[in-house]
Amino acid sequence: MLLEVRDLDVRYGAVHAVRGVSLAVEQGEIVALLGPNGAGKSSILNACLGLAPRSGGSVTFNGAPISRLPTEIIVRRGLTLTPEGRRVFPHLTVMENLKIGAAANAKLRRETAGRVEEMLALFPALTDRRTQLAGTLSGGEQQMLAIARSLMSAPQALLLDEPSLGLAPNIVDQIFDLIAELKRRGVTILLVEQNVELSLAIADRGYLLASGRIALAGTTAELKSTGRLERAYLGIA
Amino acid sequence: MIRFRTVSILATAAAVASMGPTAASAQDVLKIGFAGALTGYLAPYDQPTQQGLELAIDEINKAGGIDGKIKIELTTRDVRSETAQSAVVAQELVDMGINVMIAPCDVDPAVAVGQIAQAANIPTIAPCASTPTLPGIAGPFTFANYTADNLQGTVLADFALEQGYKNALILISRDTPYTEKLPLYFKQVFEAKGGQVPATLEFKMGQQDFSAEVTRIKELNPAPDVIMTAAYEPDFPAFIKQLRSSGINTPVLGSDGIDSPTTLALGEIAEGVVFTNAGFPSEGGPLAKFNAAFTAHFGEEPTSVYPATAYDVIKSIEAAVKATGGNLDGQALRDAIDNLENVPVATGTLTYKGRERVPLRVVALNRIVAGEKTHVADVTPKAADVPAP
Amino acid sequence: MDLFLQQVVNALSLGGTYALLALGLAVVFSVLGLINFAHGELMTLTGYAIFFALAAGLPYPVALVLGVLVATASAVVMERVAFRPLRNSNATVMLLSSFAVAAMLHVLFQNLISARPKAIPAPQFLMRNVEVLGLQIGAVQLVSIAVTAISLLGLTLFLRRSTLGIATRAAASDFNITRLMGINANLVISTAFAISGLLAGIAALLWLFQRGSVDPLMGFLPVLKAFIAAVLGGLGSLSGAVVGGLLLGFIEVGLRAYLPDGMQAYREAIGLTIVIAVLFFYPSGLVPRREAVR
Repeated sequence: MLLEVRDLDVRYGAVHAVRGVSLAVEQGEIVALLGPNGAGKSSILNACLGLAPRSGGSVTFNGAPISRLPTEIIVRRGLTLTPEGRRVFPHLTVMENLKIGAAANAKLRRETAGRVEEMLALFPALTDRRTQLAGTLSGGEQQMLAIARSLMSAPQALLLDEPSLGLAPNIVDQIFDLIAELKRRGVTILLVEQNVELSLAIADRGYLLASGRIALAGTTAELKSTGRLERAYLGIA
Repeated sequence: MIRFRTVSILATAAAVASMGPTAASAQDVLKIGFAGALTGYLAPYDQPTQQGLELAIDEINKAGGIDGKIKIELTTRDVRSETAQSAVVAQELVDMGINVMIAPCDVDPAVAVGQIAQAANIPTIAPCASTPTLPGIAGPFTFANYTADNLQGTVLADFALEQGYKNALILISRDTPYTEKLPLYFKQVFEAKGGQVPATLEFKMGQQDFSAEVTRIKELNPAPDVIMTAAYEPDFPAFIKQLRSSGINTPVLGSDGIDSPTTLALGEIAEGVVFTNAGFPSEGGPLAKFNAAFTAHFGEEPTSVYPATAYDVIKSIEAAVKATGGNLDGQALRDAIDNLENVPVATGTLTYKGRERVPLRVVALNRIVAGEKTHVADVTPKAADVPAP
Repeated sequence: MDLFLQQVVNALSLGGTYALLALGLAVVFSVLGLINFAHGELMTLTGYAIFFALAAGLPYPVALVLGVLVATASAVVMERVAFRPLRNSNATVMLLSSFAVAAMLHVLFQNLISARPKAIPAPQFLMRNVEVLGLQIGAVQLVSIAVTAISLLGLTLFLRRSTLGIATRAAASDFNITRLMGINANLVISTAFAISGLLAGIAALLWLFQRGSVDPLMGFLPVLKAFIAAVLGGLGSLSGAVVGGLLLGFIEVGLRAYLPDGMQAYREAIGLTIVIAVLFFYPSGLVPRREAVR
């Protein structure tokens, strides 16, 4: 297992957002984490990166426990997150956003120029926007920049939080094409999405989350066939 | 801090020792309380004052006490440069049964301390507050000690007229009575004796930048013959640097606030500045003797006159106790201080008699020459010339 | 006209020093959300470092450089000791901690060094008067303006060109996401403090050249001015700090130069009224801090 989450608990004060969740992602897989709003999906991703308060359970990456490490060290070990709402640095230029994505260590910094070219090839829409402030980009471009910025650190595994949120349908298609392309390049992906149909189309396996617990798990084919997915989404699992 | 505590323990030990079999009565100890600002903005004045008090008391006690029998015990409590804390500390000291109170170095806390001591019939002396109205405000048990602002203003005005200056500019700050009133006393005397003060410029203490004021001085027509101010550091150095660097060479008169190593370190720009202070250490004179004793005791030279003026306070108290024949009653001590005449002190002599509790003392005029303080004259102004506070 | 231009130069010189100070506060605030009220004590430390360096016989320029370095290092140490342990508590706790640091340093200076000011001589060439385009300008003023300009340029280059500089700007807009870039949070915060210490040290030199001495409470007033300038410009905004500092310089010099004599007593009040009026129309300051779009 590349990424393994065991009995994870996340609490924000009195709110118990994640209750004993266990899940695993294998090298090279795309795993979809599905569920209605407030089910705790983003909390799980954030907890993996040390950005949400973990009150119980553990996270291991590449066989090593990472749940007590600070965010920046986790990222240096090859696990990263493209957060919900993109969160590009709006007052930095596109180039600066990309550069900062490769600031984690000296090796990456040396390779910055080459990796920037690689990203611009992968995201041609950004090429003409290099010197523009990221805050002036369209939503789709910001999402691409956010993913490109995450990829600058050459991660083994990428956690993607709601990449299609608020984007026009044709842009959403582009984003999903891109995710498929990343898989071909060997990047392992844990995908949190509201768009169940598209997610199941590209994912290998999936988990369904309801009220902070895993309600259902299996391959995409299994999830689609049982019919329980819809029921779970409606909260009657 | 540590040094202060050690000394007060020594003083206590001396007091305890004196209460041994040979000295039986409590009358043999004069308890002095110093409500002093060991921290905060007054610390630059009250810390040196503490040193002067220690030195004087140490000398007297080593010689067997006042008149060879009454030892002095000093208790110092930090008032943190706050008026409210000064009142609290003053009450604590009163409750400890002190005989004489010594107040902090600024008017407001000194008034607070003086009023509390007065309620217990304990005389208070303010060692370095120089506002001449202080004893009047605080009440009949409070005495000033330091060279009063109106004395300095008078001496400076007389000096300016002697030099033939007719047209003076004063630079004041309303932030403290000292920086405001001293130049105004100067103006009062200067104008009364035929001089003119057509321009008054104001500054804010700590403003650092005097470029706007200096540019205005350049504009003045006629240009002033002399500039007088009671500004002190950091304002005075900043002012005179900017004044001289803009090419204005008008003579500058200052007051005792600039009697500091900083002024001497200013180099050629401070050349020729004349200022008043509480005394000049002429060779063989009492202040030179005091400075030598201070250096021997503390291992460093005094960097201000405040240790000397604090020493003066203890000498006044000593003279008063001698006058009462050892009677430490508050009313008796108060009356004795009020009648002191020509008490020899570190800075010269002090007279309280007939002075409404603001002593008449010598004012020294100094001139800065080649980075050194040189003596111009010791002046005791005519009482009739000194403006009423 | 000449006098007016001289007053403009005066305002630039004073405003520039305020700008350096306000910038120091703003750099830390932008990253940590903390107004470091012990910022002025970094200036005091510069003063004492120079005093002791000169007393130890070091050459004057070496003493100045040492003074600035001491402020820079002290800022980093201050963060490590007084703010890092409190990083997860709220901003008020850190603010109080900064007051505590300032108060403790005051007492330490007063009791371990001296309550009396210590003289710091300024180079005599700074006392001269230089003629520029027909204007008589004090050398101190010229040096102030030049040093301010060079410092601002250097800081801009650092923030734009270096990875650490970009990371500092990134952290100012979104701290957690900056950590997601694998950037060491402590390094960024230490960098911000180092920058603020460096700026405080440079401003302290200009301040000391004018005042000629260092004393334990020297830092109080400048940090107050810097705070006003930073609020005026927009708290946490770096360009705002510069604008606020310059504006404050122009307000102060303008009032001192042109307010009639009878009104001079009220100029501080009038100055602050102008500041409040500006804030009334621009409640987040003249160049508000641009928040991250979330």
